[in-house]
Amino acid sequence: MDGQVETVEQGVLGHLMALERRGMGQQDQHESQRLEMLKVRAVALRAQRDQLKHQADAVKILKDKISKDLPLDDADAAGGFIELQKSLLTAWRMQLKDLQRAHHLIGGYDLVECKEGKSVCVSFHTAFEGVYLETYNMELDLTRTVQISRHNIPPSFPLESIAKQILQKDLKGFLQTLSQKLNALAGRRQQVYLLKELVGSVEVMESNQLCNILVLMCTAQGETPKAVLCTLEYGDLTQCLPTRVSIECEDKTLSESPQWKKHQSLLLESPAHTALLTMRRMGSIA
Amino acid sequence: MDAQVRAVLYRVIRRIPNKNLENLLKKWNCLSTDQLYALDYTRPKWVTVEHVISFCEENRLNLKHITNLEMMYHIENPDQGIWHACQLTEAQDDAVCVELTQFKEQFKAHLHGVIRHISIKMKKHEDEAVWIRIAWGDNFSKPNHLKPTYIVHHLHTSYVFISNLMAKHKIFLCQALVIATKHGSIKDGHLSTRSLTAMRELLLRCYQQVFPSAHSRILQERNALPSHPCIGKEHSDHEEMRYLMSCEAFGHGPTPKLETAVYRLETRYRGNGNNTLSDREEFFRGVVRFSSSSLLDSLRHCVASGMAEGPVTPLLSAITQRGRNYFVITDKGPGVSSQASAQ
Repeated sequence: MDGQVETVEQGVLGHLMALERRGMGQQDQHESQRLEMLKVRAVALRAQRDQLKHQADAVKILKDKISKDLPLDDADAAGGFIELQKSLLTAWRMQLKDLQRAHHLIGGYDLVECKEGKSVCVSFHTAFEGVYLETYNMELDLTRTVQISRHNIPPSFPLESIAKQILQKDLKGFLQTLSQKLNALAGRRQQVYLLKELVGSVEVMESNQLCNILVLMCTAQGETPKAVLCTLEYGDLTQCLPTRVSIECEDKTLSESPQWKKHQSLLLESPAHTALLTMRRMGSIA
Repeated sequence: MDAQVRAVLYRVIRRIPNKNLENLLKKWNCLSTDQLYALDYTRPKWVTVEHVISFCEENRLNLKHITNLEMMYHIENPDQGIWHACQLTEAQDDAVCVELTQFKEQFKAHLHGVIRHISIKMKKHEDEAVWIRIAWGDNFSKPNHLKPTYIVHHLHTSYVFISNLMAKHKIFLCQALVIATKHGSIKDGHLSTRSLTAMRELLLRCYQQVFPSAHSRILQERNALPSHPCIGKEHSDHEEMRYLMSCEAFGHGPTPKLETAVYRLETRYRGNGNNTLSDREEFFRGVVRFSSSSLLDSLRHCVASGMAEGPVTPLLSAITQRGRNYFVITDKGPGVSSQASAQ
């Protein structure tokens, strides 16, 4: 009341300041009440969390027992028959989800439905020597016949010819072939990359998008360093290793020597970068 | 240097802007360092052109050097003129094994076999693109170097990009391409742009495509703007969904810079207002043309902001999915989507 009498004399600004003072006073009270409420709520939530944790553990134990085919005992049926049903269902569901994750890990295909069932999307993961590389996706249209509607596979990949051969007859086979060839492509491409990174002294003279031919120039050690041209042809597109290796050098004795014959078979049997690293370690090339 | 060579050189140098000219001449490596040093790029262009021509005459350069310079300029600045895309179809079994030397030999051999006077130059760029420059002549006259055709092809893909081709030479070029790449035929790609970079990015899929997957929510990082805790977005789910839809249709991140899309209508008028138009039996012919400095960005924004209703109409998403920007729409349905092919 006093404040109101004062404000008439001091004008709008004074009025506002008085309101503010009043508001602050009330806020303190509100603050402490709110704090109490929050503390109580926190305790309640913690208790709820502990209870849920306990229930989840019980279900996990049940699920493990089911997956190991152990007999269920009375302790599990403690909560009544309905409770047991519920726990069993949850346990089954968790087991199936684990199975699904395992399926992904071993390279199974995930078909994601889109456009209300009119098409599905597939992902292909590629890896080489334990390192995950690119992921390719493809959308398949299922309205009349199975057709590819869009994808992000590089255009140099012979996708149409594979689709023409297999897609209509055998979807699983098509996905399998595609995955194999994409993995091989990623592997070959990764070999070229690793080659450039790890064995800098070797020059890549020719390669292409499909990575089905690789021409390398190495410098052979000796009294005089000589240039050796290695041509790796990858005739089989499902493989990461070449089908034919030819070694050319100005000095015929070098390319015919048993050491280089061994190198030729090394290049046929192991990935390019590993073979070249071995050759460098043995001192044959710079 | 004879008059024709000089004319070609004049045209080439005149078209290259000064800022590119210095670097290009250095890379060309046909003028000596003294000559390069003597060129003053602050003078008017015609002065520079005259100087370069006189230096070339001094060094006795010939047509080969000059066409090399022109090609280098085009390779570095590909976004000039109008480019058209063509698609090779019916790949034979050994199309995958075609290698560069084989392609070059077969291409040149065929063209030299059908046209007596022709000048072909081929260069492989480091990004796996093969650039071809053709100056056409005929059985009586020498090749015309003032109007060369440029062709770009990435081996093992089915796309060929062509600029400045005259109708009368089209058949020869198509035959040569089909034979050299071991395909059955070639057809029009219905895609023309001014920017070769945009065309290549679109057809060779160098932009980031978005596919629905089991692990969605990948686009969450786009919400980088810190928002005030007192501001709540009411329809954030819808917004996310619209954004996802727009990215699935047009790509995520920077898109190829297409400039136009043209839809030619050959349909009957279906409005319910104007009686005179809707009674006619003949087609209502019209052309709808979308233009923008970056068409795909604009369309994506239209869908993401809700201006265009989702799901994205196939008429628009066909631009990215089919890789074309010219469509003919007839009454039975758009002529484009009758066949869902892999490319």
